[in-house]
Amino acid sequence: MKALTIAPLARLPVAMGVAAFLFLGLFLLYPLWGVLSASVLTPDGTAFTFGNYARMLSRSFYRASVVNTLMIGALATITTTLIAVPLAFAIARLDIPGKLLLIGLAALPLVLPSFVGAYALLLLFGRAGVVTQFLNSWGVPFGSIYGMPGIVAVYTLTLYPYVLLPTVAALKAIDMSVEEAAQSLGSAPARTFRTITLPIVIPSVLSGALLVLIETLENFGVPAVLAEDMPVLSVETYKLFIGETAANPSAAGVLGVLLIVLTASVLIIQRRYLASRRFATGARVAPPLIKISTGWRIVATSYSWAVVLLALVPFFAILVLSFMEFRGPVLHAAFSLKNYVELFASAQRPLANTLLFATLAAGAAAFIGVPVGWILVRTRSVWTGLLDVTATLPFAVAGTILAIGLVIAFNAGGLVLTGGWLIMVLAYTVRKLPFTVRASSAILHQIDPALEEASISLGVSPLRTLIRLVIPLMLGGIISGMVLTWVTVASELSSTVVLYSGPWRTLTIVMFQALEGTGAGVAVAAASVLIAITLVPVLVAYRLLRRYELSML
Amino acid sequence: MKIGSVGALGLAVLALANVCLGSKVEAQQKVVIYSSNDDTLHKLAFAAFTKETGIAVEPISAGSGVVMKRIQTEKDRPGGDIVWGVSRSLLDTNKQYFSAYLSKNNDATPTQYREPTNLWIGNNLHLLVILQNTKVLPEDQGPKTWADLLDPKWKGKIAFTDPANSGSAYSTVTMLVDHFGGGDAGWAKVKGLLANTKVLNRSSLVFQGVGNGEYPLGISLEYAGYVWAAGGAPVKTIYPADGTIAQMEGVAIVKGGPNPDSAKAFVDYINRKDVREMIIKDTFRRPARQDLDLSKLPGSMPALSSIKLLPYNEVAWTEVRAATLEKIKDMIQETR
Amino acid sequence: MCRSFGPVQAVRNITLQIGDGEFFTLLGPSGCGKTTLLRMIAGFTELDVGEIRIGDKRIDILPPHRRNIGMVFQNYAIFPNLTVEGNVAYGLKARKVGNAEIATRVADALALVRLHGYGARWPHQLSGGQLQRVAIARALVIRPQVLLLDEPLSNLDARLRVDMRGEIRELQQRLNITTVYVTHDQEEALAVSRRIAVMQAGRIEQLDTPQAIYRRPTSLFVAQFMGTTNVLTGVVGSRTSGPARVRVGAAEVQVADLDAREDESVSVCIRPEALQILGDGQTAPAGMAQLEATIANAEFIGALSRLDVTLAGGIPLKIAVLDELAGYAKPGKSIRVAYDPSRVIAFRRDGS
Repeated sequence: MKALTIAPLARLPVAMGVAAFLFLGLFLLYPLWGVLSASVLTPDGTAFTFGNYARMLSRSFYRASVVNTLMIGALATITTTLIAVPLAFAIARLDIPGKLLLIGLAALPLVLPSFVGAYALLLLFGRAGVVTQFLNSWGVPFGSIYGMPGIVAVYTLTLYPYVLLPTVAALKAIDMSVEEAAQSLGSAPARTFRTITLPIVIPSVLSGALLVLIETLENFGVPAVLAEDMPVLSVETYKLFIGETAANPSAAGVLGVLLIVLTASVLIIQRRYLASRRFATGARVAPPLIKISTGWRIVATSYSWAVVLLALVPFFAILVLSFMEFRGPVLHAAFSLKNYVELFASAQRPLANTLLFATLAAGAAAFIGVPVGWILVRTRSVWTGLLDVTATLPFAVAGTILAIGLVIAFNAGGLVLTGGWLIMVLAYTVRKLPFTVRASSAILHQIDPALEEASISLGVSPLRTLIRLVIPLMLGGIISGMVLTWVTVASELSSTVVLYSGPWRTLTIVMFQALEGTGAGVAVAAASVLIAITLVPVLVAYRLLRRYELSML
Repeated sequence: MKIGSVGALGLAVLALANVCLGSKVEAQQKVVIYSSNDDTLHKLAFAAFTKETGIAVEPISAGSGVVMKRIQTEKDRPGGDIVWGVSRSLLDTNKQYFSAYLSKNNDATPTQYREPTNLWIGNNLHLLVILQNTKVLPEDQGPKTWADLLDPKWKGKIAFTDPANSGSAYSTVTMLVDHFGGGDAGWAKVKGLLANTKVLNRSSLVFQGVGNGEYPLGISLEYAGYVWAAGGAPVKTIYPADGTIAQMEGVAIVKGGPNPDSAKAFVDYINRKDVREMIIKDTFRRPARQDLDLSKLPGSMPALSSIKLLPYNEVAWTEVRAATLEKIKDMIQETR
Repeated sequence: MCRSFGPVQAVRNITLQIGDGEFFTLLGPSGCGKTTLLRMIAGFTELDVGEIRIGDKRIDILPPHRRNIGMVFQNYAIFPNLTVEGNVAYGLKARKVGNAEIATRVADALALVRLHGYGARWPHQLSGGQLQRVAIARALVIRPQVLLLDEPLSNLDARLRVDMRGEIRELQQRLNITTVYVTHDQEEALAVSRRIAVMQAGRIEQLDTPQAIYRRPTSLFVAQFMGTTNVLTGVVGSRTSGPARVRVGAAEVQVADLDAREDESVSVCIRPEALQILGDGQTAPAGMAQLEATIANAEFIGALSRLDVTLAGGIPLKIAVLDELAGYAKPGKSIRVAYDPSRVIAFRRDGS
């Protein structure tokens, strides 16, 4: 009986699982091996060795880069969490004005490419920055944004949405009766929050904090500008892979592997922790807003708006700069539309490319990510675990490393992809796959499997059931995952800069080249345009997310 | 199973589309240029080239490391026709990827700026200079020589690029080792200089930093000082009185590239006298050919002959680069 | 105890008193205000007007966590982040009870609900019935002055529901704890309560013992809500001595106690089990009236048999009999039905 019923049902997940493994194997693992194998091979590539690791780790410079990276990551994760959790509480549970606008604005930092943000912040908070000079003229002892404190501050203000959004969702998903039960048992509201509410939302907070940590480990744009001469792993890895002079595949492979191992171990620890703490509270009634005194309401409101607006400072700066006059690279205090004129004279094609790639990648990521998410939630086996790890691995791989791997893997042989647009879309799809996988599995946890069984028992095949019944039910999660993919692809630089070719420049490449060259004006104008176009899907997402209780991430 | 085959089909369709879209562009005459020059120079040179020849330019621009890495990985199926804006040492170490061509400007270019078998030809020279922001640091208080930079009063005030990420920074360090007496003595002095620097990750951060007043001094390239000064920034270009070197950047034709004729046309075009004048006017790239009167051109750059040039064995220093970079890296780490 | 509530939409002008150790039930259809009333007692819904006292102490001015009231929620509201033990100990820790005492009281509470040895389990490892017991143990362990139960059995299957309600009743009696129980299930209410308040549209329709509510509903709503009943509409005939007579179609029903004028329209309620089938030749016992009817359908459901019959004029009537149906349960057969007029209740058009 059991064998008869299980076997046909298992066919669909097995088929989709195999397809997913093939995709990830071909476009993630195989390219990665191409890049990272150098780290375990002797220079002539014939023998296996750990010598490269010993050599790299014996250098204090690289050990320092590992320590710095971990310090930055840990500090930024802690400060982000400390800032975002109270904000999430205020948005989810307190009566503060302008909430919808607040949460809409809070997602914006995710759409700004970090290297442009860092440029804007230097103009404001650098040694000669406008704000620095102003503060110093008033006697405020503000140094500058360089170094670890600056990097941590920038990460905190740009990455806090990763913690904020899932925490708001979790706080809203708690069933009211659980908190009431605590109170009826004699627990005061504050104690209830500490002993019940907080522990229940902690898994969501942690999954957001994990994204922050991974992003800080992987990010290149911010430390490249703000670290000055403090060694940071991602920057050193980049230099060793494609530095003008130091290209050293085996050394770069070592650092690449270190980066992946760091990230992967964090992922594994988180999974272990969450495995025993999955608190699915199918909420019947969302908790009501907490009544607070006017004084506290003012405090909560000012705090929330201060955090959100502070995080938007680079945005305002870029917007203002884009309307100022640049003579060559030099900024002059005069109004001008020249930047936009210059941008639109040459950047229409890159703009179209950005829109096209982001859309294709979001579609492809959903096409692959949704079935993977479904398998992860609905089946349980060793292979499921393996698929889970593989599908999360892209988070742990820096864009540069994956891109180089793809070039090595698909420049010759049976499948040649270099020089076209497809390799770029593939890189984006693989890199952003965890977004759609996580978003789909999150929402699937809330859908009763009995619905699928009902459909199958009514004679609808499992595949049709998935397409006609489950996917429509998951739509909220799928769309939020796709929007996140869309937005982050549109602002992606690290793999694009290695992969783009010919007519396939994107808007971020325009910015990068302008900033590296001598036309910062074009860069800030392009960044403003990018912000404007990514705002559209973000706003659409928020309309949807209001209905789907922010189940993203 | 269905999903699998659908996926495979989708992949095949995408691959086909990739090829089709790629080939559609090839209908027009074009040239694919891998370049590490900056955007401003690209816009200027490519627009003029296309206007004159009707050949469309597809630029792939990235740091010279990325560019060469790409040519190496694509060696079995080159996607580019031209590599441009790459240093002599990179050109020399990657000769096997180039095909020889005798440029029409060959005779106008001094022999030291051409490859004997015509695998590459020099376009422009980068002089290693010191940039000074005269708003942060009054003009008369600036250094005059490389040796001046060793003064401890400059600690943390000199922006420099990580030699691991910049060919010119590597040249600067190695030139100074020779200049300061070579060997351990030279290295000791270089260490003193490095101790005064902020070692930044990208060369653009150095001239942006000096231009915007983040750092009073920066070790950078000649053209950057003129570009920022021309834009109205208080940047002075200092040619160290104790001498400097001229780093050549050149152009080469990628072996087996898809558009060899267009590639040759570009190599001839980019070194023409009027084109070099146009390039100086907008981007201040000092030409490799020596038959232009710079004093009459914008910026009034000094003639090469008026600048003290130091001897520099680029080939020798390139050979020991891996070990030297490790040494520099350790030295930077020790002096933080 | 005296509780009176202001004119809230959900709960209007209710005053009621619940005795010490009483098992008191709020019964009514969904939306009748019974849960709102319970949540007012617990402190999760505020009163607009009125007050709530336990003994002499006014509690409606206290926040929920200071009321010392145990509450069992419809969905149990077990803390998913704590073990069974952690859940039960939660209220004791809030009261700063010493660790040793917590241990013994938690063990006692778990033993009380027959969950001894389950302390270390996580909520997701328990069945619905077990979660229910944890919720009860958790509410009882704090020794509340009042225990509130909000539809505690509605998420359990039929069999477990019957078992659990017995257990709850038994526990309540053993601990002699004042209990307010909310349910929409009349059978459950009848089985466990000392008194029941039937609620509708925010008002208490009737407050009495289970027997009285079942037998002598004071309104048509209560009569219909409390189990199956036959409702016949008719017109009061001439009022002479003895039982009043109500014309229902072509038949006539006797009502022992009728407060209505002649020719007034009334609804007459007779419980199916108050009707008794007379065998051939058998006469109605003394004091009983009888009706002529035709069997339309018969259904054997185990302990009982149900008959659908029609009175003269085609009016349908339900009858429940304990006897076997053998012999006379043939559709189309004419039968005579006897009933006690004192078990017939009539209501005026307005339902009173």
